[in-house]
Amino acid sequence: MRIRVLAVLACLAALSTSCSPSESKPSTLTIWWAAWDPAVGLQKLGDEWGAQKGIKVNVVQIPWTDFQTKWSLESGKNKTDFDIVVGDSQWVGLGATKGWYIELTDLVKKHSSTLHPKAATYLSEYPTGSGKFYSAPCETDSMGLAYRKDWFEDPKEKDAFKAKYKRDLKAPETWEELRDVAEFFYRPNDNRYGWSVLTGRGYDALTMGFEENLWAWGADWFKVTGDKKVKIKGVVNSKEAADAVTFFKDLLKFGPKGAAMLDYMQCMEVFNNGTTAMCANYFAFFPYIHKQMGDKAGFAMIPKKGNTRVIALGGQGLSVSSKVPKAQQELAKDFIAWFLQTDTQKKWVKHTGCFTGNVEVLKSEEFRKADPWNAVFADSLDHLKDFTNEPFFNDLLQPVQKYLGEALDGGKTPQAALDAIAEDFTAVFKKNGWTVE
Amino acid sequence: MKAVRWVFIAAYLLVAAVPLVWLFVTSIKYDIDVTAEKVKWIPNPATPKNAPTVTFPPTVGQSWLLLNDKAYAQTEFPLIHYFINSLIVAFVSTLASVALGTSCAYGFSRFKIAGDKDWLFFILSTRFLPPLAVVVPILIMYRTLNLTDTMFGLILLYTVFNLSLAVWLMKGFIDEIPKAYEEAALVDGYSWMQAFWKIIVPQAATGMAVTAVFCLISAWNEFGFALILNNSQKAMTAPVIFKYFLGRTTGVPWALLAAGALLYAVPIIIFTVIVRKHILRGMTFGTIKQ
Amino acid sequence: MDQGPRKVPSFFLLKYGFVGPALVLLVAFNIFPLFSNIYFSFTDAESDLSGMKGVGGENYGTVFNKPMYGEAMRTTAVFTVVVVAVELVLGFCLALCLRDSFRGRDVVLTALLIPMMLCPLVVSLFWKLILNSNFGLFYLTLRDGLGMQDPPAILERSPLVAVMIVDIWMWTPFMMLIALAGLNSIPKYIYEAAEIDRAGRWTVFLRITLPMCAPILLLAVLLRTTDALKQFDLVMALVGENLSQTQTLSVLLYQRAIASQKVGEGAAYGFVILVAVIALSTLFTRYIDYIQRKQGKS
Repeated sequence: MRIRVLAVLACLAALSTSCSPSESKPSTLTIWWAAWDPAVGLQKLGDEWGAQKGIKVNVVQIPWTDFQTKWSLESGKNKTDFDIVVGDSQWVGLGATKGWYIELTDLVKKHSSTLHPKAATYLSEYPTGSGKFYSAPCETDSMGLAYRKDWFEDPKEKDAFKAKYKRDLKAPETWEELRDVAEFFYRPNDNRYGWSVLTGRGYDALTMGFEENLWAWGADWFKVTGDKKVKIKGVVNSKEAADAVTFFKDLLKFGPKGAAMLDYMQCMEVFNNGTTAMCANYFAFFPYIHKQMGDKAGFAMIPKKGNTRVIALGGQGLSVSSKVPKAQQELAKDFIAWFLQTDTQKKWVKHTGCFTGNVEVLKSEEFRKADPWNAVFADSLDHLKDFTNEPFFNDLLQPVQKYLGEALDGGKTPQAALDAIAEDFTAVFKKNGWTVE
Repeated sequence: MKAVRWVFIAAYLLVAAVPLVWLFVTSIKYDIDVTAEKVKWIPNPATPKNAPTVTFPPTVGQSWLLLNDKAYAQTEFPLIHYFINSLIVAFVSTLASVALGTSCAYGFSRFKIAGDKDWLFFILSTRFLPPLAVVVPILIMYRTLNLTDTMFGLILLYTVFNLSLAVWLMKGFIDEIPKAYEEAALVDGYSWMQAFWKIIVPQAATGMAVTAVFCLISAWNEFGFALILNNSQKAMTAPVIFKYFLGRTTGVPWALLAAGALLYAVPIIIFTVIVRKHILRGMTFGTIKQ
Repeated sequence: MDQGPRKVPSFFLLKYGFVGPALVLLVAFNIFPLFSNIYFSFTDAESDLSGMKGVGGENYGTVFNKPMYGEAMRTTAVFTVVVVAVELVLGFCLALCLRDSFRGRDVVLTALLIPMMLCPLVVSLFWKLILNSNFGLFYLTLRDGLGMQDPPAILERSPLVAVMIVDIWMWTPFMMLIALAGLNSIPKYIYEAAEIDRAGRWTVFLRITLPMCAPILLLAVLLRTTDALKQFDLVMALVGENLSQTQTLSVLLYQRAIASQKVGEGAAYGFVILVAVIALSTLFTRYIDYIQRKQGKS
C-alpha cells in the first residue's frame, strides 16, 4: 500500500510540474525556428524588442532534421506551443489551407514597397498570384557558390589550368565552366576534390541541390497552366530534364566520398575541412564557412547555362499560429510589424547568417561591403525561384528525393527516374483535385 | 584448439571494446581532432584556433566541462535538464511497473483467475508488438488528454510498456516461493494482504530488485515515443536530445556527444554489473533462468 | 486455497484487486489502440484530424500495393535474417570458447554483456562517427592502417549493412549467453559416455552438442527475430527515416504516420502489423510453454 501511495504521489508531483499556469495578459512570445545561426540572431533582436515592451521572447530552436515533423505534429494540437513559427517557404500552402496560419496580407502589403517581389511571392504568398499572404519574410535566402579563392589565385594552378583548358581560372560563370574547374581540382590521391553540392536524401536537400540544373537546362518540375490545371508529362521528364540529371550526376564524380549523399551540413564540412574546391550551399551557411576558412573562401553566384540563370530560393517567413489566444496573435503581429521596418532589417543583417529581402538594405553600400558574400547575395535575388508551396508539397518532394536518389545511385536511368517522378506527380495532383493535361 | 579459442575471444573482445574506448577518447578531444584526416588516438593538447571559449578556458577534455552549456549545445536547456527528466521518468515508471507487476504476478501465481492462461498469453504477446504500431492511437489519445509534452504522459506509457516484463519476471520469482510459507501464515490468522506484505514481498525482494533494474534500463533507453510525444523540450528525455545533436548546422558536436553518451551509459553499465547473474532471465522475459 | 474462499465477495475483490490495475492498464494501452487503429484506418485523417472523411479500404490498398511497403517488408526481412544468422553463429562460437571456466571468465563475460544493455540510440550515434567515410575510425583504419586503396564507404554505399553491423555488435553477446546456458545444461555424463565409446570430437559436436543445444538456440533465434523485426532506433540514428534502403517496418511507419502526417495510412499499417504480431506470438508462446515444461523436468 505504501509503495502504491508513493507512486501515486510521485505521479501527481510530476503531473503538477507539467501543468503551466494560464496567462491573462500576454507576457511571453514563443517563436519556433530551426536550430541555426539566424535563430540566434532572431533571439537577440527579440530580446531588444522584448525589453522595450516588457515581453519575454523565447526562440525555440529545433534541428532541421526534425523541424518539419515537429511543426506538423504541434499544429495538430488544439493549442500550439508557439505563437509564431518561422516556417519554410514550402509550408505556406499547407499552413494556409489547413487554417494553421492566420492571414497577414495587410501587414505584408504595408511593407510591400520595401520587400523584394520575389521574396514576398515565394516566401509568403499563397496561392501564387492571389495577393494573399500568410507569412512575412524573415530569412530570405538563396543558393550560392563558395570556392577556394586561394587555390584559384595560386599562379601554379592558374598556369596549369590555362594550359589544359585554354582559358583563365576564375569563379565559373557557366555550368560547363564549373565542370571544367571541378575536373581540374579532382585529385583523389592527394585527398583533393572538385565539387560538393546538396544531395542529402532527408527532407529536401537533393531537390534543392538539383533544381538549379533542372531550371537552367530549360525544364521545370511542372507547369501551372490555369486555375488548378497543370502540365507534368513532357515538363519534368523532358529530354532537357534528363540531360540536366545526367550532367548533375556526372559532376558528382568530382566530389569527395559520399558526394551523392551530402546533407546541408556535410556539404559544408567537406569544404571546410580544406579538401574541396567548390561548394554550393545556402548563403545562410556562408558566415560559418568564412569563420572556418577565412580569406581562403571566395563567393560567387550559381552559374548559368547559356543565358538562363535560375537560383533556388531558400528562406523562411514569420507566420502566426491560429491556435493561440487572440491577445497572443496581436502581440505576434506587433513583433512582425516591428521586424519588417527597414531600421530593424538593418540591425537584422548584422547578425550572423541573417539575410533580408528588404530592397533598401540590399541596395545599400553598407550592406554590400559588410561581408564578402553580401553583394553576390543581393544580386542573386533577381534570379530566384522556388520548388512549390502547394499544401501537398511533401508528396511532391518525396518522389523526387527517392527517384532522383536512385538515379544517382545507379538504380534507375535519369529518364526512368524522371518518368517515375512524373507518374507520382500526376497521381498527387489528381488526388488533390487538379486537372492534369 | 585452445590457442584458437583464445585468439577468437581476444579478437572479439578487441573489436567489441574498440567502440567504447574510442568513445572515451573522442570525448576528450577537440572537435577539430575528431574530424581530422588521420586517426588520432591521443588528443592533441594544443588549443586549436577555433576552440570555443564560452565559459571555460579550452583544455583537453573541455567537452566534459561544456556539457552543461546550452548555448554551445544549441539546446533549450542545459543537458542536465534532460538527464534529470530521464531519471525521473525511468524511476517513477519503474516503481509503478514493479508495484503493479508484482501484485499482478502474485494474483496469477496464487489464485485461480478466470482465463489466466489467456491473460498471460496476452501479456506476453505485448512483447512482440513493435511499439510504433500503436503510435497513431496513443498519439491521438494523448493529445485529447493533454498528456503530450509531459513527464507524466511518458511515465504512464513506460509503466505500461514495462508491465508485461514485470509481470512475467515476477511471476517466475513468486512461483519459486513455496506456498507453504503463506499457508503457515494464514493458519496463524494473517489475512491475505498481510501474508502478501509480510511474507511474499521480503522473499521476492531480490526478484523485485532485478525486475526493477530491467524496467529501469528499458525506460532509460527508450527513444521512439520520447521523440514522438515531445515537441517542446521541457519534458524531453536525453536520448531525444542526443538525436537532436545530429541536426546541428554548425557541425555535429562529436566530442560533446561522446561525453554525454558516456555519461548516459555509466548508470547502465553499473546496473549491468549488478544484475549480471540475472541478465539472461531478464532478457528472455523469465523463460530461461541462468 | 484448499480451504476455499471464506467470504465470497471480498475474496473476489481481493483476487482481482491484485491483478486488476495491471490488466486494466494493459488493456487500455493495447486493446484500445487496436480498435482505434481500425477506426482511423478507414479515414484519410492527417495530422490534425480536421476534415477527415471515410475512404473505405483505400489505405489498405496503399499498404498492400504501394511498392514502398513491400520494400520495407523486404528490408526488414533481409535485415532480420542476416543479423540473427550472424549473431547466432558468432554467439555460439563465443559460447564454445567460453564454456570452460578460466581465470577472469567472469570479467570477460560481464564485459561482453555491456553492449546489449546500452541505449541503442546512443550506441548508433557513436557508431555513426566510427563509420563516417571521411574521418571515421573504421574507414581511416582500413585506408591508413591496412593500406586499402578504396575502402567501402559503408554509410553511403550500403547503409543497411551499417545498421546490421551495429545490431550485430550489440546483440551477439545475447546469443552467446543463451548458447552458454544451453551448452552448460548438457549433463556431463553424456560426454563421459561418448568418451568411453571413443567418439571423435567432431562427432561429439555434431551428434551431441548441437542437437542438445538446438531447442534453446531456437528460442534465442525466436527472441532475437521478434526484436529485430521492431528495429527503429538504430536506423533513425544512423541514417534517418527517409532512406528507402533502410526503411524497416517501424521506420516506414514513422515516416508515413508522423513525418508525412498520413495518420489514416499509418493506422492501417499499424493494424496490419498488429495482426501479424498476434499470429507470431501465438506461435512463440506455444514454444515457450514447451521449453518451460522441458526445463521444469531438468
